[in-house]
Amino acid sequence: MQPLLKVQALSKSFNLRAGLFSRKRFSVLRDISFCLGQGETIAIIGETGSGKSTLAKLLSGADNADKGQILLDGNIIENDGLRDNDCRHIRMIFQDSEASLNPGLTIGDMLNDCLQYNTDLNKEEREDKIKQTLAKVGLLLDHQHYYPHMFSSGQLQRIALARALILDPKVVVLDEALSSLDPSVRAQTVNLLLRLQKDTGLSYVLITHHLSLVRHISDQLVVLDHGEIVEYGQTEAIFQNPQSNVTQKLLNC
Amino acid sequence: MQLLDIRNLTIELRTSDTVIRAVDRVSMTLKEGEVHALVGESGSGKSLIAKAIVGVLNKRWHITADRMHWRGVDLMRLSNEQRRKLVGQDIAMIYQDPSRCLDPTAKIFDQIAETLPAQATSGFFLKRNKQRKDRVKALIHKVGIKDHKKVLDSYPHELSEGICQKVMIAMAIARTPKLLIADEPTTALESTTRAQVFRLLKSLNQLKNMSILMISHELEEIVEWSHGMHVLYCGQMVEAGPTNRIFSQPYHPYTQALLKSLPDYEQGLAHKEPFYALKGTIPTLQHLPIGCRLGPRCPQAQKECVVTPKLTKHHSHSYACHFPLIKAMK
Repeated sequence: MQPLLKVQALSKSFNLRAGLFSRKRFSVLRDISFCLGQGETIAIIGETGSGKSTLAKLLSGADNADKGQILLDGNIIENDGLRDNDCRHIRMIFQDSEASLNPGLTIGDMLNDCLQYNTDLNKEEREDKIKQTLAKVGLLLDHQHYYPHMFSSGQLQRIALARALILDPKVVVLDEALSSLDPSVRAQTVNLLLRLQKDTGLSYVLITHHLSLVRHISDQLVVLDHGEIVEYGQTEAIFQNPQSNVTQKLLNC
Repeated sequence: MQLLDIRNLTIELRTSDTVIRAVDRVSMTLKEGEVHALVGESGSGKSLIAKAIVGVLNKRWHITADRMHWRGVDLMRLSNEQRRKLVGQDIAMIYQDPSRCLDPTAKIFDQIAETLPAQATSGFFLKRNKQRKDRVKALIHKVGIKDHKKVLDSYPHELSEGICQKVMIAMAIARTPKLLIADEPTTALESTTRAQVFRLLKSLNQLKNMSILMISHELEEIVEWSHGMHVLYCGQMVEAGPTNRIFSQPYHPYTQALLKSLPDYEQGLAHKEPFYALKGTIPTLQHLPIGCRLGPRCPQAQKECVVTPKLTKHHSHSYACHFPLIKAMK
């Protein structure tokens, strides 16, 4: 079966200031490759500074890689730093939904903007789409007239999810999106994510340090350490028999 | 010996038209050398209780309590000066957001040195300076920072969140307090640092006999080493008792829902199967339901639930529910 998302030899480095005029290359990610099938979840774990968030940014197109390709459904969407100008298929949900939503826009306006700039739908179709998406994530139609500060953190997470889902993506990247939630809200959000995956065949890239959650919802696992993949395989297999030192250390605590 | 004894603590916020009761008659006791956990979702008033104990809430909050005893001294009756002196000596608090709670304009060394008690040093000026330096160095080593030179000489923004948290702990233990209140000490940290912080707190508890009041919403982390647990929902104490008893047999539907939302607790859950979760969301403080505040979301709510249930005690395990989940009580 053709994998949905294929990442080949992705590398990224930053320029750091070393002296007054000199620069130092600091490589954040080196030769990252993995595959993700439709309806699957891949989890990425690692310590801080291991390049997890950079990888999330590269996948969602917020940043460009130096080398390597990202293929979606067999089409190259990023080749050596050149990105296809289309953000529709891979969407991202950020850690702090409160901070990542514009406080000056109502939810309806915000979702409308997403559609207006990325699709050719006319006004009625857009309204229709907003209605569908809000229903999908378990919100009411009236919520589109509300501002972000009127919602609780769990509902904001749903809105962030609605913003990601409104363009019918194939992959959703969750960068620590579940860590800051309360346990019961997290359980609700996880249930919602699992239901959406079952119904629509969505794929997730889950970046988190919550290991029991990783074990529960992910199919594959990537362990990153200092920008390199140290372990990659089925989640259950890695949890039962971790090979490298880094993984053993991460799983033990 | 009873270290902290609180009875019917109520914290209210008076707005122009209504009175919002953020914490509703919470009672708790803490013995010396015990680790207690205060568990609840955000907005349930955990941090408010902690701040009320330390006395750092501002004037808008109205605090009443039948009893708030610290080693036999009623904190509510003390003057501000006396209370500050007592609390400053015996209680220390670690705040939620370490990098925001440190002074951004001062170096770490100065910030830690400021918290050292003045009596700890003796002798002349130079000798005192040296003692202070040694003491700060020892403190920072104790919390597990090896590179003391670099850390002490940097500003908070130059350090990672984990190191900031450890610096906060170093400041808190500088006066060897009797009670350490840790307000979500590990929410911002990743798993390895989190484990380090927990190990550190645990060793402080065991070696120094320091009592710890842990505030957290991550149940699974505190299970193993806390003696007692208090579960809060929307400012009401729903269940309290020894941790292992609560874990093996929760009486309150909310506690049960909290436990069931943990992947580790529910052993029989298949891969990718949905968790058990209560319907709806936490009500906002402006629109609290009357009676039991869990009422509208509770799976077994009945007519009686519009009356606030009293805390019932059953073998050191107390719960506030009209219809507790007790299988065979008789």
